[in-house]
Amino acid sequence: MCKYCLGGGEKSLGNTDMQIGFFIDQSRCTGCHTCAIACKDWHNIPAGPVNWRWVITVEKGKYPKVFVAFISLSCLHCAEPTCISVCPTDAINKRQKDGIVEVNQEACLGKEACGLCKEACPYEAPQFSAEEDAKMQTCDLCVDRWDEGKKPICVDACPMRALDAGPLDELEAKYGALKDIDGFIYAQKNRPSVVFKAREPEFLDSPPNNNVTPP
Amino acid sequence: MGKTETIITSCSHDCGGRCMLKVHVHEGKIVRIETDDGEEPQLRACLRGRAYRQRVYSPDRLKHPMKRTGPRGEGQFERISWDEALDTVAKELIRVKNTYGNASILLLGGSGSQAVLHGAGAVERLLAGFGGYTRAWGTPSYEGALFSSMATYGTMTTGSAREDLLNSRLIIMWGWNPAVTVWDTNTALTLAKAKEKGIKVVSIDPRLTESTAVFANEWIPIRPATDAAMLIAMAYVIIEQGLQAQRFLDKYTVGFDKFRDYVTGTEDGTPKTPAWAEKITGVPRATIERLALEYATAKPAALIPGWGPARGAMGEQFSRIANTVIAMTGNVGKEGSYAGGFMRAFHSRQMGMPRGARNAVEQGTPPRQNSLYKLRGAASPTSARIHSAKIYDAILRGKAGGYPCDPKLAYIVASNFLNSTPNVNKGITAFKSLEFIIIHEQRMTPTAKFADILLPVNTFMEREDVVSPWLGSPYYLYMNKAINSMYESKSDRDICAELAPRLDIADYRDGRTDEEWLKTITESTGDIPNFEDFEQKGVVKLKVAEPFVAFREQIKDPINHPFPTPSGKIEIYCQHLAEMNNPQIPAIAKFLPTSEGYNDPLSQKYPLQLMTTHHKPATHSTMEKIPWLDDIEPRRVWISTRDAEARGISYGDEVLIFNDRGKVLMQADVTERIMPGVVNIGQGGWFDIDEQGIDQGGCANTLTPSEHSPGGAWCANTVLVEVRKA
Repeated sequence: MCKYCLGGGEKSLGNTDMQIGFFIDQSRCTGCHTCAIACKDWHNIPAGPVNWRWVITVEKGKYPKVFVAFISLSCLHCAEPTCISVCPTDAINKRQKDGIVEVNQEACLGKEACGLCKEACPYEAPQFSAEEDAKMQTCDLCVDRWDEGKKPICVDACPMRALDAGPLDELEAKYGALKDIDGFIYAQKNRPSVVFKAREPEFLDSPPNNNVTPP
Repeated sequence: MGKTETIITSCSHDCGGRCMLKVHVHEGKIVRIETDDGEEPQLRACLRGRAYRQRVYSPDRLKHPMKRTGPRGEGQFERISWDEALDTVAKELIRVKNTYGNASILLLGGSGSQAVLHGAGAVERLLAGFGGYTRAWGTPSYEGALFSSMATYGTMTTGSAREDLLNSRLIIMWGWNPAVTVWDTNTALTLAKAKEKGIKVVSIDPRLTESTAVFANEWIPIRPATDAAMLIAMAYVIIEQGLQAQRFLDKYTVGFDKFRDYVTGTEDGTPKTPAWAEKITGVPRATIERLALEYATAKPAALIPGWGPARGAMGEQFSRIANTVIAMTGNVGKEGSYAGGFMRAFHSRQMGMPRGARNAVEQGTPPRQNSLYKLRGAASPTSARIHSAKIYDAILRGKAGGYPCDPKLAYIVASNFLNSTPNVNKGITAFKSLEFIIIHEQRMTPTAKFADILLPVNTFMEREDVVSPWLGSPYYLYMNKAINSMYESKSDRDICAELAPRLDIADYRDGRTDEEWLKTITESTGDIPNFEDFEQKGVVKLKVAEPFVAFREQIKDPINHPFPTPSGKIEIYCQHLAEMNNPQIPAIAKFLPTSEGYNDPLSQKYPLQLMTTHHKPATHSTMEKIPWLDDIEPRRVWISTRDAEARGISYGDEVLIFNDRGKVLMQADVTERIMPGVVNIGQGGWFDIDEQGIDQGGCANTLTPSEHSPGGAWCANTVLVEVRKA
């Protein structure tokens, strides 16, 4: 039997009262990782494999025509999270009031016994520590801050003001509904709760024959 | 469960940013750090400040005073009491003073604390009161830029406010990566806004940096240490096309004719054409021509000459020629323009302790050779100081080697000196030859292992201070104490105050508590009306009527506001330099061949040009070995795909980077983001030299030369190496 079938059937997930998501401005992100460190500090996550937020570098082309951009990523609190679909113990849920994906670690079977969510997520958002029976953890969109009327720590940390979070429809109204950018593919099946501003896709202008021969 | 308090402070290490930290303290322990969420401009901290909790609670923290028990440098220590430590320090200071004189006491004060009260300044006051000491000149980052700023403009205050970049029509980032070096908080954010506004941004850099990737429309890779040649060729194009701002030159500058004669070849028979520069720089002549025309016609335009290209064996020439080309286009003193130079903007950085006792060792000494001693405003040009890159040679050779003293004792404070100074292996030899070494430190750094007496110092989280930004943006931060001093650590100032009576220095604190001093200092700025309010809010952000632009007055009203140079004008030709009659520091800026440049004969043996730049998570060596930060960007050597292929090197391979000075083992980052022929190591890695003499810690200074340019610039970016698979 396919291990993805363990979760048992389709679950309808896209019916929350509203959906909170992220805005990520790739045109501004300098890859400084302040968001990732602020996240680790706020949630007291030790160094190592668990990263609720991380930054990827997108590189294309050959010297001297090179494209470089950065994207800050995390769990994107999908409208139809495949992690929930595959979870055999219903340890992952979406909050009805705002669509935030939550993990009940007591119900989680752990990465050795199960680990299906990690494989099912197109963005590798479910995180496990190095411990043997590590339970799944992931971005909780700073529910504690949200409940106090504050934005997530990553948003408030970004020195470039390249991140925002809020009701997805409001983000789309404010920033547009761009879902695919260089370095990120929008998974239609999951419908991640995110909108982007892209870095212009063209390569940097660069002198055509800059391949100087070393002396 | 006690309450969680929020304490406002700021980082004060040698980082280009100066940002607000809101520290959550629960039952005496830092549990979280937030940043500025108040009025704009918010001073949002970067990853280094956000990770600071792991530095405060680092297992490397020094807990008690210690004395050395094994061979020097091996790091074998025994815990002793503060009394024993301070008695020993005092005894050694007195012994060296009585035996050799005060000049044999070498103070190696680093930039680890940029705040006003604590750090190197605390020990400077102590040793001045003790009859004097020898200190270093030659700042690692900027001595080339500073020398040129003084020669051309007579001042360090030559920059513009960040927001003024939005008034430019073209921004040229020349060897400048503020996305990593920060260069005053919010510079990167302003550059992003400039690009969004449609302002063209060009980056000239051997590497495709984060700043280039995000802010630039165009990347022009250039061979290290050849930037001056490209600028001179741009001057050639501007002159050839008659595009120089002649009325500006006539009114505000001296010596353009002499510079023109050099550029056109009237002086030496070599016209400095784009074709001439192409061979030197590797930048196509058409690119040089186009950029010259764009810069000369896009008014106002901001050419920002970074400090990095001036960190070379002829470093000051880059900054001098940049200042010259800027003046040729009239981009001085106007909104949207940028004068170059040292680039301090606004005066907040002038906040400091009032001067204490004078350093008797320096009193009455003649000025240093090659110094711009007639100008005031930079560091003292006394010949009693030793260049920071020559400290090891001075220790080993002393007066017999032409140095002003025979160093016998080193007092090191706020500095991971051995790690941060060129030629680590030479440094180890030199340090082993000293009679005594006293070190104030927070963690067990590679330098700390060389102490005879090692004194544990608290971090900025454990003391009160005030601080202003690197380049003087219009704000000040009050650094409130967040937690009590960890273990038995003390502040630099408290250590000095306890040493003072042992050295027969009466009243080290000059009758004032730290808090009274902080009040006096902040009041003396004239910008902070209410000390208690400053302390409570942790910040004063000044409302400035118009963005700071250096030399506004000089340009608007030159009769009543001369430039602070001997001629009162922008000195394209510097009379002070002319009097030195040294062809290595000519009176007009020139492109001069440099040691360990691309065409040095040594390049036959060591064909790759090494650059040693800022490493994103590091703040020099201060934030090394912080687990969160170590995960972000492991230390790797950047090597181009072409150079890697030629050596059979793949991404992630262990490689040896080496020259006659040392060997470093690192992983290779094989990348398209660096010019072929160039490799890069982010400086600050803690050296760890194994029995084979190989540095496993990735310290760039294992490879750099302990030399300096005639104007005092470090040779940190003129270093030849070879790389092979380990």
